[in-house]
Amino acid sequence: MSEKPMKRVWARWVVLAAIILGLFLFTGFFGIGLGIKPIMPHVYLPGEKLSETPLFGIAGLYPTNTLVGLLLADIVVILIAIGVSRGVKSGKTVLTGISGAVEALLEMLHGITEGTAGKWTKQIFPWFATITLLVLAANWSGLIPGNETVGLIHHYDHGYDLKQVGPITTIWDEGTDDGEHHGEYAIVPFLRPVSTDLNFTFALAIVAVVMIQVFGFRSQGLGYLTKFWNTKTLFSKPIFGVIDFGVGILELVSEISKVLSFAFRLFGNMFAGAVLLFVIGSLVPVFAQSMFYLLEFFIGLIQAIVFGMLTMVFMSQATQGHGEHHEEAH
Amino acid sequence: MEAEAAKLIGAGLAMIGAIGAGAGIGVVTSGAVQAMSRNPEMTGTIQTNMILGIAFAEAVAIYCLVVSLLILFVF
Repeated sequence: MSEKPMKRVWARWVVLAAIILGLFLFTGFFGIGLGIKPIMPHVYLPGEKLSETPLFGIAGLYPTNTLVGLLLADIVVILIAIGVSRGVKSGKTVLTGISGAVEALLEMLHGITEGTAGKWTKQIFPWFATITLLVLAANWSGLIPGNETVGLIHHYDHGYDLKQVGPITTIWDEGTDDGEHHGEYAIVPFLRPVSTDLNFTFALAIVAVVMIQVFGFRSQGLGYLTKFWNTKTLFSKPIFGVIDFGVGILELVSEISKVLSFAFRLFGNMFAGAVLLFVIGSLVPVFAQSMFYLLEFFIGLIQAIVFGMLTMVFMSQATQGHGEHHEEAH
Repeated sequence: MEAEAAKLIGAGLAMIGAIGAGAGIGVVTSGAVQAMSRNPEMTGTIQTNMILGIAFAEAVAIYCLVVSLLILFVF
């Protein structure tokens, strides 16, 4: 009984491998023979404008391609939520399909939260899970084929030439050997992962850090402020009191640097990943990019979990006061 | 053209900071692996803390990367 499915699976793999090898051979030999060369798209740090008219008539609010990426990530998260709630309502004890996968992920995240946050798990876990799922959807949207390559053609001084290939207009390197480009066109892609936009990562980081302070106040009331303005021991212990006061000021600085560190960590990883894929694709036309694609898959997952987990750890640190923690240790 | 060359050199120099992050990640991971091999029941907790430590060490390299990306593509 187990013979037949095994055979079928093998046949499928062989056909897949043959298709992939054929594509590689085609682009690798015939493509270069025909003059098709991989090109390095121009790298643009802020999100590119898809249209010059501001959204809703608000000055400065342009429809950028990272905004499209944000909408895509939001829609994916909402669809997952609908799918999971349907799966839960179906009454099955063992969830299957997408809801089973989400259950496994959330169970892992919940386990980590329970180990760190203790009695505040119920309040902190939703933030952890929401941030992780949104950032995960945003990061993985960068792996959709056609993303960052399909878009509007616009004028750009150091770009490439235009060429009509069948129904598709594309930018094309005419293949001068002096290494200079002479064309004047570049592509503004329709879709770009939103985590390659500094605005998104900064907004998410500010939300996370503000909520960390909110959790501090919820658990300790106004006593949370003594973490930053520590005059408790200033007069009773002359030298160490002054040091404690200085540490409090440093804590205030570290809250601000948390925003920077959150924002730049996610942005730097995802933007550098996109640039890495461009560069590898322009150097080696076939196969090499696939390896880095896999690397980006893992980096997207790890960065999503790291962003969520750091938020969770800082929140649970804020709920455990300085003094309270000290007493527990003794 | 000279400003262009200086930009490229500067972007390269900015990435020197990645040395420290690389060494840091190595130290964190070696410590975590030693701890896990001595005390396999604690693997879950150690892994969580290891990823946190790696994230902090890596952040420094990412700052360098952001600086060099800004030099290359913005200024």
